[in-house]
Amino acid sequence: MNNIATQRIKREFKEVIKSEELAKCSIKVDLIGDSYTELKGEIAGPPDTPYEGGTFFLEIKVPETYPFNPPKVRFMTKIWHPNISSVTGAICLDILKDQWAAAMTLRTVLLSLQALMAAAEPDDPQDAVVAKQYKEYPEIFAKTASHWTNVYAGGPNKNSDFDTKIQRLIDMGIECDQARGALSTYNWDLERATEQLFS
Amino acid sequence: MYMLDCLLNFIRRVLDTIFSRRITNSLLIFVKTNTGTVVPVGLDPKWEVRDVKEFVAPKLGMTPEELMIIFAGKELQDSELLEEYNLAEQTVLHAVKSRRRSFKRKPRVSTCIEEDEEFDDTKRAAVNFYVYCTSPCANTTVGKIRVRCFKCKSGAFTVDSDPKNWNDVLKPKRITGHCEISQCTDGEVGWSEFYFKCSEHVTKGENDEAVALHLIRNNLHDIQCLACTDVRSKVFVYPCDDGHVTCLECFCEYAVSRLRERRFVFDNDIGYTLPCPAGCPNSLINQPYHFKVLSKDHFEMYERFATEEYVLKNGGVLCPQPNCGAGILVDDDCDKVSCINGCGYVFCKKCLQGYHIGECLPKEEQLIIDITGYSVDPKLVSQSKWDDASKVKIKVSTKPCPKCRTATERDGGCMHMVCTRCSFPWCWLCQTEWTRECMGSHWFS
Ligand SMILES: [Zn+2]
Ligand SMILES: [Zn+2]
Ligand SMILES: [Zn+2]
Ligand SMILES: [Zn+2]
Ligand SMILES: [Zn+2]
Ligand SMILES: [Zn+2]
Ligand SMILES: [Zn+2]
Ligand SMILES: [Zn+2]
Repeated sequence: MNNIATQRIKREFKEVIKSEELAKCSIKVDLIGDSYTELKGEIAGPPDTPYEGGTFFLEIKVPETYPFNPPKVRFMTKIWHPNISSVTGAICLDILKDQWAAAMTLRTVLLSLQALMAAAEPDDPQDAVVAKQYKEYPEIFAKTASHWTNVYAGGPNKNSDFDTKIQRLIDMGIECDQARGALSTYNWDLERATEQLFS
Repeated sequence: MYMLDCLLNFIRRVLDTIFSRRITNSLLIFVKTNTGTVVPVGLDPKWEVRDVKEFVAPKLGMTPEELMIIFAGKELQDSELLEEYNLAEQTVLHAVKSRRRSFKRKPRVSTCIEEDEEFDDTKRAAVNFYVYCTSPCANTTVGKIRVRCFKCKSGAFTVDSDPKNWNDVLKPKRITGHCEISQCTDGEVGWSEFYFKCSEHVTKGENDEAVALHLIRNNLHDIQCLACTDVRSKVFVYPCDDGHVTCLECFCEYAVSRLRERRFVFDNDIGYTLPCPAGCPNSLINQPYHFKVLSKDHFEMYERFATEEYVLKNGGVLCPQPNCGAGILVDDDCDKVSCINGCGYVFCKKCLQGYHIGECLPKEEQLIIDITGYSVDPKLVSQSKWDDASKVKIKVSTKPCPKCRTATERDGGCMHMVCTRCSFPWCWLCQTEWTRECMGSHWFS
């Protein structure tokens, strides 16, 4: 990788390590291997959100042209959020696209993502299904997001009602994640989810 | 050039012989008069201005008292030492007959100007101007500022005040002065005009101008580079309100990455340029000569892209072939466009697909052609850099922008695409402009 990008990432890495957010365990960055092209980010789910108590891992790829172009960031931990794809973890956030500026850093990216988790922007969704649920059935959305946080990110809120429904589909021979995805999509309507899975 | 060098050497040798006993450290200076006479003189930098007058006056048929010496817009005072002015070899001094002996001026040569920042004597020594010297240096060099009459372009001109910032220097008619050429200003206010010379080659005379690279400055305040966070001695100061700074290396890196992505901005007044990398509003680099700082190859790329962008702005089209993209000015009445200066591709002006008779094909069918249509001409295919692997990649993960047809890669991000070339927001699935409907209706794939 070119010198500028490497040097910059090295310094940013230190910036995160020294930050008060790290001290409060809310964000963290780890190197992958000894090159500075790939990093692993970590965000704590913000308090008073369905993500509270969960730990979310991010894949961060630093382009050759960093910091003049944004890092490529993706959620490795599955998450139920209007601006993050529930399938691929791709993120829809303006600062990771055209609103990126060379003065921004890994720290600002992680904090922005944390802010995005606390306040979704359903009008510019990455995941239209989640966005629709977020707007039309906010309570179901909150329960679903909290359930995903419990299953994938180590969150505290177990939902035995959801688990029972998922188990029903597993018994029918459906894979666990697929069952959860279908049920989440159909607002936990077991019949419609079954219909979709076997159609 | 060679002839001139010989002549100058000869003059220098003659002067050396004549004054060898009196002058220890000789500097060849040209003294130019209002009648156009140029007298080459060897001077000792340790001399006072008074000595210069005594030395030059007889040669001009004048008395030392009648003589006024002007350099860089200032009348030199008798008691000042020549070396205070840092005169370079073959500098031109202007000798004029003084008509206003009672007129007292407080001269000082400014060599330091900060944009909108008051001149501060303590910084004087450290500050340089950077210029682009087209010939012979063909490089970014240290420059020096000179002044002349705005009206008649004569260097026999004295300024009423020092320029205080870059605006005073770059914008016309900011500083008043007096032109010594008889009848030039004729009682009216004279206006000064500033220009720059390269200080790294021996001057080729008064028309040896260089372009000021006013955004390149010495880093007097030890500001760290916004991109790499280093503190360097020479920096690039972007013309935004915050005055963001990068080092020159990062400026080049920034410019080259934006060039490769074709993300320069075409401004009607400035040309092909870039804003501050921190994304500040109204921050376009207003002197494209700054891109001369790039390597030769990259500057050529800059020039080519700038030309193409100009073509687009003037109703032309860009060749849609991968790796070509040459700009072509088109005929208003004819839809058939040939890439004459580029790859030779012949295409339809309306749909940018291979040239066809009759109506353009609807979008779906075009896409199929996109995928299969790479074998235009076997010879051209072998010339182009797309190997089989990249062809497959193009089929799978890139689609053309619906507006300008530039192949755009989707890197696993949103369906919401923003064309890197024309900034058109579009939908990966529909391949039309991005709409609210797109957001709501597409299921996850
Ligand atoms: Zn200064
Ligand atoms: Zn030069
Ligand atoms: Zn004049
Ligand atoms: Zn730098
Ligand atoms: Zn700026
Ligand atoms: Zn072409
Ligand atoms: Zn057509
Ligand atoms: Zn769409």
